[in-house]
Amino acid sequence: MSSEGIAAKPVPQSITLTIDGKPVTVPLGTTIFDAARMNGIPVPTLCHQQNENPVGVCRVCVVDVGARVYAASCIRQAEAGMVVKTNTEPLEGVRRTLLELLMADHPSPCARQQHSGDCELEKLAAAAHIEHPPFPRRTTPRGHDDSSLAIAVDHEACILCDRCIRGCDYIRNNWVLARRGKGYQAGIAFDLNEPMGDSTCVSCGECMVSCPTGALTNRGVVGTKLEGDLVDPEFLLDLPVFKNVSGNFLELNRNAVVERHFRAGDIICREGDFGATAFYILDGTVDIFISSPMAHVKTEDSSTGLLNKLRSFLAPRDRHQRNGDPSRNSIPIDAPIDLPYDKRVAQLHAGELFGEMTCMSYYPRSATVRAATDVRVLEMLRNVLDIMQRNKSFREQLDRTYKQRALESHLKSVPVLASLTPEFIEHLKSRVELIRYLPGQMICAQGEPADSFYLVRLGFVKVSESRPGGDLVLAYLARGSYFGEIAFLGNTTRTATCTALDHVEVVRIPGDDFRRMLDEFPEVRHKLEEVAADRVAANQQRLTQIESVPVDQFLNQGLMEAQSLLVLDLDRCTRCDQCVRACADAHDGVSRLIREGLRFDKYLVATSCRSCRDPLCMVGCPVGSIRRRNSLEIIIEDWCIGCGQCANNCPYGNINMHPFPVEMADPEHPGRMIASTRLKATGCDLCTDHAEPSCVYACPHDAAHRVNPPQFFASMLKQPTPAKGGV
Amino acid sequence: MVAAVAYIPYRHSSPQGASGGSVMGLIYGSFGFAFMIFAGLLGARKKVPVWRLGRAQTWMRGHLWLGTIAFPLILLHAGFHFGFGLSRVLMWCFVVVFVSGIFGAGLQHFMPRLTTERIPMETIYEQIGRVRSQLVDEAAFLVEQARAMLTGNLSDASAEQRAVAAGAGTMGGVTVATGLNVDEQASSDLQEFFDRKMRPFLQQAGARRLELADRATSQAMFRQLRLLLPMNLHTTVDDLENICEEKRELDQQTTYHRILHGWLLVHIPFSYAVLLLGAIHAVVALRY
Repeated sequence: MSSEGIAAKPVPQSITLTIDGKPVTVPLGTTIFDAARMNGIPVPTLCHQQNENPVGVCRVCVVDVGARVYAASCIRQAEAGMVVKTNTEPLEGVRRTLLELLMADHPSPCARQQHSGDCELEKLAAAAHIEHPPFPRRTTPRGHDDSSLAIAVDHEACILCDRCIRGCDYIRNNWVLARRGKGYQAGIAFDLNEPMGDSTCVSCGECMVSCPTGALTNRGVVGTKLEGDLVDPEFLLDLPVFKNVSGNFLELNRNAVVERHFRAGDIICREGDFGATAFYILDGTVDIFISSPMAHVKTEDSSTGLLNKLRSFLAPRDRHQRNGDPSRNSIPIDAPIDLPYDKRVAQLHAGELFGEMTCMSYYPRSATVRAATDVRVLEMLRNVLDIMQRNKSFREQLDRTYKQRALESHLKSVPVLASLTPEFIEHLKSRVELIRYLPGQMICAQGEPADSFYLVRLGFVKVSESRPGGDLVLAYLARGSYFGEIAFLGNTTRTATCTALDHVEVVRIPGDDFRRMLDEFPEVRHKLEEVAADRVAANQQRLTQIESVPVDQFLNQGLMEAQSLLVLDLDRCTRCDQCVRACADAHDGVSRLIREGLRFDKYLVATSCRSCRDPLCMVGCPVGSIRRRNSLEIIIEDWCIGCGQCANNCPYGNINMHPFPVEMADPEHPGRMIASTRLKATGCDLCTDHAEPSCVYACPHDAAHRVNPPQFFASMLKQPTPAKGGV
Repeated sequence: MVAAVAYIPYRHSSPQGASGGSVMGLIYGSFGFAFMIFAGLLGARKKVPVWRLGRAQTWMRGHLWLGTIAFPLILLHAGFHFGFGLSRVLMWCFVVVFVSGIFGAGLQHFMPRLTTERIPMETIYEQIGRVRSQLVDEAAFLVEQARAMLTGNLSDASAEQRAVAAGAGTMGGVTVATGLNVDEQASSDLQEFFDRKMRPFLQQAGARRLELADRATSQAMFRQLRLLLPMNLHTTVDDLENICEEKRELDQQTTYHRILHGWLLVHIPFSYAVLLLGAIHAVVALRY
C-alpha cells in the first residue's frame, strides 16, 4: 500500500459493535466492559473498578465475542463490527463455577457482609443462588493481621483481585502493598511482608475502599475522638457535597465526621493551633480573622550617639516600609477567600469549607474562626475530606463558589495582575478551572509546550529544572504565586518542571486567555516580563555558580544554596560566645544565632539565617507570610501568626520565634482587651541599622565574618583536585 | 621606645636615682596607669557588645598593646624597684597580670587551632553534659536492638536488622528471626560489656581512669566484641565505638576549654586588684 493510500484512509474515531443484540457506538479504544456499561448493559465483575487500570484476573466479567475462548471484557477492547454476548447460559455457567471456587475460600459471611451487607462477592454469589459451594474449603488458614489501628486485614476473605494493590500503588502512589507467596500461600503483603501496623502504610484507606470483600475493613477511627454528635451516613448522603460518595465508606468512617454546634461568639478554631480536621458549614455564618498583631519585627537604635542600644519591636507596614515590600493587600488563609490587609476579617457562609490545608497536610491553622451567628458545622478527618474532595458535585460547588467569591480577590492579590479590569475578570470566570494535584504529582513538565498559566490557590509547588546529574530546585511557590508565564512570553516550551509538594490546588488560565490578557493589558505584560527576566537571570546565575563550583562538600553542606553566611574562623575563635551575646543583646535577649553548625575547612558555618536560594522555610507557611525580597533576603510579613512552621522547616534551625508582649482583643469576649504574648518568626536581619552585624562587630578576635560563600571560599574552591590513582 | 630613651638622661640626672615621685616618674606612672585602665575597660566593653564604641577587635588590640606597654612604663615609673608595702604588693600583682596576660594571649593564639584540629565533633561547651546523656541513651538503644536480634525477637530490632533477617516469621504473636542464629550468650556478653564498661565511661565526665578513655585500649576492646558478635551486628559495634570516640572528644574539649579560659581565673581578679591598688597607691602617693 502506498503512503498516499494510508494517508487517504481516515482513522475512525468511533466504532460500532453489537452487544446483546443492541448496536452501540463507542470511541475507539473503549473496552467491551465500558462499552456495555455506557449503554446500560451490566456486566458483573470483581477485580475491576472504574478508577483503576483493568487487569482481568477474576474473569467474572467474561463475555462471548464469538472467539474460541471467552474474553475478559474489562481488558478486551471493543472492535468495529464485533458481536458480543454478555448473558448466555454457558457464560452464566462459567461465572457460576468461578464464583463457587471463590466462595469455597471465602469465610461467608465475611466482616464486610456482616457489617454493611455489601460484600461484592457474596452479593454476586447470592444472585447466582450459590449457598454451599461444591468444592472443599482450604485446610490451611491464611490468617488475620490486626496490627494496624485503622484497618483490619482478613487474608481469609481476600480473593486476590489486586484492587487494593492498584489503589495503594497507582492511585495513592504509596507503594506499600504488593503480592506475596505462591499457590495456597498467595496473598497481599505490606512492604517486605511486615505486619500492616509496622509497615510504611499511611492508613489512607484507599485499599479498604477498593476491596470488594471483607479482606480489608475499617477498625473505626482509633485515637481520635472528635468532639460532637455522630452523623448518620444517610444524613450525609442527602447533602449535595456528599452526593455519590460511597455509603459504605461513610458507614465505615462514622467516627471520622461529627456535627458540631456553636453559639454566636464561640471560637471554632484558633490560628497557629495544630489540628487534623476541616470544617464544612451547614448553617450560619462565621467570622474568619487573624488576631496576631499585623506587624513585622524591626530592630533599630533606641537612641542616637555612642551609647545607643538596639531594640526589637513590632512595626506595622505604615510605620516601617521595607525596601522591596510588595503592594500586596491580601493575606492568603486556609479558606475559600483571602483576608484584606487593612481589614483582617471576612465571613464564610453555609456551604463553605475551611481548614483544608490543616486537614490534608497538617499545617497549623491559618486563622481564627468565630461563630458570627449560631452555627452548625461538620468537622471531618482527612479520609472523609479526601473522599469529599474527590466527589464531583462537591468539586462543582467549590469551583462555583471560588469563581463567585474569590477569583477576583485572588487575581487582584497578585501584584502584577492588579490592573486587570472587572470585565476581563468576569470573562475569566467562565474560563478558568480549579485543578487539584496530589503530593508529588506533576503539574507541567520541562520541555512540553505551554498551554496554560497557573495561579497557586492552595499548597506549595516545587519548580525544578532537569540537569545532567539530577534535578535542581529553582523555587517553591506558595499560595498567591503564579507560574507558567515564561514559556508564553518567550514563545518557548516549558523551561522547568512544576510539581505539587503537598495537596495543591491551582487556578488554570487557558493559554488563549492568557495571550489575550497579555495583548489587552500591556502593563501586565510589562510587569510579567520584568518578573520573568528576574527569574531567568536568577536561575541562570545559580546554574552558573553550581557549574563553576565542583566541590562536593561545599554542595553537600548546602553552602551553595546560601547567599550570606555567618562563618567563624575556628583557628581564631576562642569560643568566648561574644557573638551570641551580642546577637541576643541586639534582639531583646533572643539570639538569632547559635555557635554550632557544619564545618567547612577551618570555618564553622554558624546557625544563622543563610538567606538560602532554596528556602525550605517558605514551604508550609499557612498564611504565606514568609517570602524573600529580590535581594533573596528572607523576610517575614506582618501577618505572621507565630505558628512556628517556618522554624520547624528550616533545615539549619535558623529561624527563631520571638515573643512580644501585646495588648489584643479578647477573641472570647469581643470588645475587651487583654494583655498577651504573641510569637513572631524572626531570622537574621543583619542588624541593618548598622554598618556591620552585631555578632561580627562584637567579635574581639576577628573570627566572625558575614560572607558571600562563593566569593569568600573562592580561593579554596579553585584549588585543583589532586589526581587520584596513577601508577 | 621614647619612654625608654627618655629614661637614660632622667636616670643620670637624678642624684638619688629614678623615683616615682619625680616629674618624670609621675609622667611614667600616669601613662602606665591610664593604659592599665584602658586595658581593664575591655571587660566593661564586652558587657555592652552592641554599643557602637568601636569594634571589639580594636578594643582587644588596644588591650594587648597598651597592657603590654603599661608594664615597662610602670617599671620605669618605679625605677625598676618593687618598693615596699603597698607598692610591692601592687608590683607583684602587676607581674602576675602581665605574665598571665602574655600566657593567655599565647594560648588564645594556639589553642583554637588545636581544638579545631583535634576535635572535629566539637559542640557548645555548656551543652557537653546534655550531649553526654544523649550518647548514653543512643548507645543503650543500639545495645537493646542488637540484643533483640541475638535473642531472636525481631519486634524490638531495627528496620535494617529486620530486613537483614530474611526468613523472619511469626510465632505466638512475636516476630522471630528464623534466618539468624540465636545466641543468648553473646547477648548477655554484650549487655555486660555495656553495663560494666561503656555506660560508666559515657556517664562520667572525664573518666580518664576507665579503660575506654584510652583510644588504643578501646579499639582492642571493640575488636574483641566484634569476635563475639555475628557479622550483621558489626555495624552496631562500629556505631558504639564511634559513640565512645565522640565521648573521648567531649572530654578532650572540656580539657582544652578549661585550658583556654582557665588562665582568666588568675588574670581577671589580679587585674581588678591592680586597678584598685593602683588607684589607692596614686591617691596615697600624691596626697602624702
